[in-house]
Amino acid sequence: MSAPAHPPTAPTARPERRRSLVVCGVIGAAVMAAVDEIVFHQILGWHHFYDRSTPGVGLLSDGLLHTAELLALVAGFFLFADLRRRRTLAPAHAWAGFFLGLGIFQLFDGIVDHKLLRVHQIRYGVDVTPYDWAWNLGGLVLLAIGVALALRAARRGRAGSAP
Amino acid sequence: MHVHHGSAAGPGPAGLVIAVASLVAAVLYVSAAVRLRRRGDAWPWWRDVSFTAGGAGPAWAAVGPLPDGPFTGHMVQHLIVGMTTPLLLVLARPLTLLLRTLAPGAGRRRLLSLAHSRGAGVLLFPPWAALLDVGGLWLLYRTEVFATSRHVPWLNALIHTHVLAAGLLFTFAVCLLDPVRRRYGLLVRGATLLAVGAAHAVLARSMYAVGPPGTDFTAADLRTGAQVMYYGGDLVEAALATVLAGSWYAATGRAERRRCRARGRLGRVERCPS
Repeated sequence: MSAPAHPPTAPTARPERRRSLVVCGVIGAAVMAAVDEIVFHQILGWHHFYDRSTPGVGLLSDGLLHTAELLALVAGFFLFADLRRRRTLAPAHAWAGFFLGLGIFQLFDGIVDHKLLRVHQIRYGVDVTPYDWAWNLGGLVLLAIGVALALRAARRGRAGSAP
Repeated sequence: MHVHHGSAAGPGPAGLVIAVASLVAAVLYVSAAVRLRRRGDAWPWWRDVSFTAGGAGPAWAAVGPLPDGPFTGHMVQHLIVGMTTPLLLVLARPLTLLLRTLAPGAGRRRLLSLAHSRGAGVLLFPPWAALLDVGGLWLLYRTEVFATSRHVPWLNALIHTHVLAAGLLFTFAVCLLDPVRRRYGLLVRGATLLAVGAAHAVLARSMYAVGPPGTDFTAADLRTGAQVMYYGGDLVEAALATVLAGSWYAATGRAERRRCRARGRLGRVERCPS
């Protein structure tokens, strides 16, 4: 086997750990937002499209967030493709970022959107407390997985940085 | 299901004029593209499809069947004329095609000087194009203009023309696929897309509860129309974002290949990404 002296795109093809983490974090947050939109708005019909009690600032923040998610999903996909094209994707950091993104979005939606801005509630006509707990604990679990993966990736990164 | 036509009594003269104009534009585009290909230039076939479909949009909105409910029907028309049509036309790069096929002479020179003029640069400043587009929408749906336009045909025609023109300007400015002199950066174009998307979503969501002043659409009609506007807007925004991100991806790929070939000339790399 004739191994090349350099990898094909040397000398820059070193894994970009931080960039992998951030890009996949953006994708994770956008994926969670899409899941929320599809499952809770469209399939279950639990969330209301527009709750008349939503204040103006809630409506504005929601519109901004919704559009940002959409753009983030597209941008994240292309940034990810760029990392792969340059062979600089660090998979462990990418997974950590993805779970951090999922967890952060879920918690943000559960605390800021549902409770502080009161854009809409998880479900209507029932006691919403258990739903809020389940929602936010779910977010916390995802966030914890992300933190654990990030720590592991950082440890491995340090161990493997001297080839 | 009952379907009604864009104009009250079937395709009127205006609808026919639009349909014929769309057809003529599509024929001109395709014949220019064919000439280019015969000459040996590469011009992807999907651009012909995109332009023809884009041209068919306003014709469909004018004479084709629309869903039930006056507000929902109007919203579908607007989605076609103001968002889908501009995107499909801009993706076909009509200015590039025109500049490549026009014979050198006064006409081509005038077109080129128009594309490179200071006025075009100002008009294509993305936030300004966005203001004309989405600002016009807020004016339409949050003042009495919409209620009035339902009884005044010329105002209705003017509004549709504005929606098409502003949509074209905005899409052209954000995608920036054609050769104009002033090239605004990715950041300003992306930020403008974000702002427009947010303004569009807020307007759509608010109309779910409160219709345009002076109108009395049923709640069901209003709700369907608002959701058509919201999710339809999402689709077109996602497509615009894909165009933006895709052109970034292609440009960075070209830059990387150039760097790689430069390194190759120094004898440092065996293989560059194709």
